[in-house]
Amino acid sequence: MAKREGRSGRGWVVGFYLPFPHPAVSLDEVSVTLGGLTILDSVSLSAPRGAVTGLIGPNGAGKTTVFNVLSGFVRPDSGSVSLGGRALRRVRPHDLTRHGVARTLQGVGLFPTLTVLQNVTLGARARHGFFADSWGSPWADREAATVRETARARLSELGIGEEADRLPGELPYPVQKRVALARSLMCDPSVILLDEPAGGISAADMADLGSLVRSWVPERTVLLVEHHMELVMEVCDFIWVLDAGRVIAHGTPDEVRRDPAVLSAYLGEPA
Amino acid sequence: MNPLEVLVGYLLGGVANGAVIALIALALVLTWRSSRVINFAQVGQAMFTSFIALSVQQATGLWWLAAGAVLGLVVYLLTLRPIRRSDSSGAIIATFGILIALQAGAAMIWGGDLVAFPQPFPASGIETGDRVWPISIYDLVVLGVAAALVLGLSLFLTRTGIGLAMRASAFQPEVVRLSGIDVRKTLALGWALAGIVGSLAGVLIAPISSLSPNSFDLLLILAFTAAVIGGLDSLVGAVMFGLGTGLLLSVVTGYSSAEDAPLAALILLALNLLLKPGGVFARPGARDV
Repeated sequence: MAKREGRSGRGWVVGFYLPFPHPAVSLDEVSVTLGGLTILDSVSLSAPRGAVTGLIGPNGAGKTTVFNVLSGFVRPDSGSVSLGGRALRRVRPHDLTRHGVARTLQGVGLFPTLTVLQNVTLGARARHGFFADSWGSPWADREAATVRETARARLSELGIGEEADRLPGELPYPVQKRVALARSLMCDPSVILLDEPAGGISAADMADLGSLVRSWVPERTVLLVEHHMELVMEVCDFIWVLDAGRVIAHGTPDEVRRDPAVLSAYLGEPA
Repeated sequence: MNPLEVLVGYLLGGVANGAVIALIALALVLTWRSSRVINFAQVGQAMFTSFIALSVQQATGLWWLAAGAVLGLVVYLLTLRPIRRSDSSGAIIATFGILIALQAGAAMIWGGDLVAFPQPFPASGIETGDRVWPISIYDLVVLGVAAALVLGLSLFLTRTGIGLAMRASAFQPEVVRLSGIDVRKTLALGWALAGIVGSLAGVLIAPISSLSPNSFDLLLILAFTAAVIGGLDSLVGAVMFGLGTGLLLSVVTGYSSAEDAPLAALILLALNLLLKPGGVFARPGARDV
């Protein structure tokens, strides 16, 4: 069934007809077992290019494992992963930015003794010449200045430009979340994997977050794992639903909302 | 001499030893900061590379520090990188194994006897007028090398992107990897830097002590003591308490005997563990970068 066609056309993608061009991210028949437990069971899903795709499911459904497979933290027992339309034999976390993919973590993952600017530029500075940066060469200094400029621009885009020189601990949690987002945007990703971005933030901040995520498309592709259903239904073009390591439903937000299997998984109603 | 002059004399006599203890402590802190592993093979590496430096010196007539330092990297690449794949406690235990292997290997290659290491600078006390100070030019060179290394490493770790990434890798490697940095490289760099610092320490201490496969064992205990008292994460703490340990040993040796010196260091460690177990320079957040 895995009939595919070119990057620009609509068609069958990993077994499902999608009204979108070739997917930016996909899993094909991926299975993961950890300690004898099946975490993902032949999961196939995809995120269409230039759209916001949601990945939802009850606790333990395997959502974060999907992200861990996509970002190389977990190697699947079987199946394949495609990023940017390219099937990858092995994904390594530090290569994600090279593939134009950024991932946020459930927490903020900021380093408390580094300033916001240092946190945001951490990877970008080291990436641009592992040893040149150590020697403080003129071109490395110029590169570092460019990286800092880009970081300040990213922080300003997210409305936290004035916080660049403060420590993360001095900032409210929603601002820390934005700092983590700014760090992810430093590689100018074409695909962003957002792992529970709304965790721990207020309803007002959530509305801002929704607008922000929508502002990234169609230039970027977003795959969103989130528990806040209002946010998911509001911002997503397409949703995949996992339960106990299997895909139980997929479709537009309206289709998913009415799907009996989804109602059963979330509310315990018979499918 | 009046009592104050005697005390100053003992203190000056401990400067070189203190600087070398500080360097080994610094090497222990570097591996700890980059990977959360204490490398107990550090003095084995220092000893082994000192023997190599001695062989190079005997073969070529050159007093070539770099030979020993570069070989510290080889020890890392051949032994410690594969071990790092296991959890940190396994890696720590494995470093003991490497220490024993290095000592046995050195005994097989160079023999188990004490050998003299040539001195590149005069080790006699500096003379000013008719007075001879209990500190030599060589002691000052050792102190200078230690100070330059501390300054250089501090700048590297705090001012460069690689240095920041190296520190960050020890705490949240997943974040660092998602930022596009190969954590294996930052780990390798941390261990390699530590290897260089430890090797330099070995080559610096060998001329003012002697060299045998087990001659640096006490150095490991003293440097570990200094690193722990300093807080394990702190470069400044390692250097300050490394130097302090050297001075304390010299004073105890002077007023009592050389046999009592290690005991004094262990009492200091015990007091530290009782009163401030996290270390004097430990910051509140153990996972701070």
